[in-house]
Amino acid sequence: MIVKMSEGLGKTCAIFFLTLLFSLPLGMIVALLRMSKNKIVSAITRFFITVLRGTPLMLQLLAVTYGPYYLFGAGVARNKLIPVVIAFSINYAAYFAEIYRGGIESIPVGQYEAATVLGYTKFQTFMRIILPQVVKRIMPSVTNEIVTLVKDTSMAFTVSYQEMFTIGKQIANSQTSFMPFLVAGVFYYIFNLIVDRVMGRIEKRLDYYK
Amino acid sequence: MTDTKKNESASQAILEIRGLQKSFGVLKVLRDISLDVEPGNVVSIIGPSGSGKSTLLRCATFLETADGGDILYDGQHAVKAGVYANKTELAKFRTRFGLVFQNFNLFPHYSVMKNISEAPLLHGQSKEETQEYAMSLLKKMGLEGKENSYPCQLSGGQQQRVAIARALALKPEILFFDEPTSALDPELTGEVLKVIRQLAEEKMTMVVVTHEMPFARAVSNHVIFMDGGVIVEEGHPEDVFGDPQQERTKQFLRNYQK
Amino acid sequence: MKRTLALLLAVMMLATVLVGCGNSSSNQQTAGSEAAESAAERTTFIMGIDPEYPPFSYLGDDGNYTGFDVEICQAVCDYLGWDLEIFGVNWDEKLVQLDSFECDCVWSGMTILDSMKEAGYTLSAPYYDNTQVLVVKGDSGFASSADLAGKDVAVQLGTSGEALLNGDLADLAETFGNVVTCDSFLKCFTELEGGSVDAVFVDMPVAASYVASHQGLNIIDEDLGAEQYGIAFRADDTELCAQVEEAVAALVANGTYAEIASKYPDIVNNLLFLSE
Repeated sequence: MIVKMSEGLGKTCAIFFLTLLFSLPLGMIVALLRMSKNKIVSAITRFFITVLRGTPLMLQLLAVTYGPYYLFGAGVARNKLIPVVIAFSINYAAYFAEIYRGGIESIPVGQYEAATVLGYTKFQTFMRIILPQVVKRIMPSVTNEIVTLVKDTSMAFTVSYQEMFTIGKQIANSQTSFMPFLVAGVFYYIFNLIVDRVMGRIEKRLDYYK
Repeated sequence: MTDTKKNESASQAILEIRGLQKSFGVLKVLRDISLDVEPGNVVSIIGPSGSGKSTLLRCATFLETADGGDILYDGQHAVKAGVYANKTELAKFRTRFGLVFQNFNLFPHYSVMKNISEAPLLHGQSKEETQEYAMSLLKKMGLEGKENSYPCQLSGGQQQRVAIARALALKPEILFFDEPTSALDPELTGEVLKVIRQLAEEKMTMVVVTHEMPFARAVSNHVIFMDGGVIVEEGHPEDVFGDPQQERTKQFLRNYQK
Repeated sequence: MKRTLALLLAVMMLATVLVGCGNSSSNQQTAGSEAAESAAERTTFIMGIDPEYPPFSYLGDDGNYTGFDVEICQAVCDYLGWDLEIFGVNWDEKLVQLDSFECDCVWSGMTILDSMKEAGYTLSAPYYDNTQVLVVKGDSGFASSADLAGKDVAVQLGTSGEALLNGDLADLAETFGNVVTCDSFLKCFTELEGGSVDAVFVDMPVAASYVASHQGLNIIDEDLGAEQYGIAFRADDTELCAQVEEAVAALVANGTYAEIASKYPDIVNNLLFLSE
């Protein structure tokens, strides 16, 4: 049972890492669009963020996986990792965007002004002065989201992606036993312990200034 | 055309402001302000809070957008009748001046050295030269050995001196100070004022918005008293402080002596 | 738990045997063989069940037997004015126990086998279809389970289809490319129509109703794990069988049957009397 579930763990990890890979930068783009001076762009972005944060992730998974088929008659992806990662990335990007926005808006305006007077371009100001400070400030909230993501990967079962929890459910069904759920719980817990350690390290590294 | 203009005024003033206007909504903060700053001069701007003196500095450094008037550096128009030059030209104008903020605005995630040296490096100056110059500035500021410290490890006075060094690292023709000691504990203002005084002795062109009247009187060549968005009185410090002509100036200075 | 059950069974068997013996000698009691012969005067009906076969028949939380079959049988007895007695059979010996009058029928999710017919038992009309079929796209050209070698097949988590693919039909499942488990049959069919799987392995009634309402799908004409449930009576109890069948028909007609069935959502789709 544990061997079989560990195989699913690989797919759980795939969802996890790919989602982070795409949603962290995508969230920044969304945050910048959300803060755009163009009122229409910012309103549209805001609308999408509220939809993504205001509807269940499970529904979004179903929409991304089966929506194209129901709406346009397009095929359903045979490799479920693709729609799963797309749905997760978009959803988490919305959450990250709001965290980024909070972080960016918390940076004192004096930092921008100092950089401007010193001749930094807008891009240089953002990348060198603002972003590093934002990263430090948002670390705790981002850690929170990442911990949630670990657990949310189990939702991929809803579109039949054979990750760890889906396999656990199958085993539980065929053996009429709760053991697989217990095993899954332990897996997630250990996974999150590691996440916690890694994020703790990063936070400590950023501790050199206040 | 620009060349002739440059030649005309280069000998006279580094900064010329003509008829500057600025409103925040219905509130007129600057009404028709004009001033000249000649090379090597120290101009102090004094006046009550809300008189528009900080806004004047922020307009001169393009942090606020003026509604009307002219701003010229070395006789070249950065703002002409309220119309700003294009982005690239404004960027060039920015290299001519430095600004020291009330709240220092150091970059907290950078070491002292990086705070001072990054901007020159981004402007394409060589690394050795920049670092050497930064070290000499730190020495001048009395901050030897602090190059690897972070701002949070320094006192307010030290931070402000780093901020001055940072502004000087770009070798500006004119340096603006926006209430450089207002955020400091009284016992720390002295070390910052001493540095500014030293710069004045080296004939650095400076415009200082300040509430330190004795300092303004001792260091500047020219004092401007502003109130209600206009220049009420200006002149040599001994005249303005010693024999103010306007009633409002007298009243302001009286309040300060109490 | 098991021990108590075994003890209970032993006691019940003993009791039945004793009662049976008593009946055959005295002719006084109604529950035994004599009563069976004159069905019209019957007052007690003994239902033979497998006590561990949920949701058809099992020991409820309150210590009484319950389950879909038990509830229907209770309703039948109520309808016919009989007292219901429940007898837990030893499943391997159920027909022997039936023949020895320990019960009047075997009614407990029992698969109708050809061997039962050959042995002469009276069998009711099937009431539950446990047949599993493969549904494919009409234009796919798949005509048998063999054509699906190496192809992906969807099955609903927790259904008898999934159990079969993990059990009796594991060999067949081996030949498939992937067995994809979905958490609802609707998703299974969406995967099929969307082209991400090549077939859906599903209960016949579910397949039939879905294919009827959605175009472009075919049911492969091949019964996989074909099973139908029915009730077994002794060879000469044809009249009793007819009585029960009539009563069931009446319950279907007055809605009681559907009402009871609605309490068992897992099996409701496969009930033949309700599928029309």
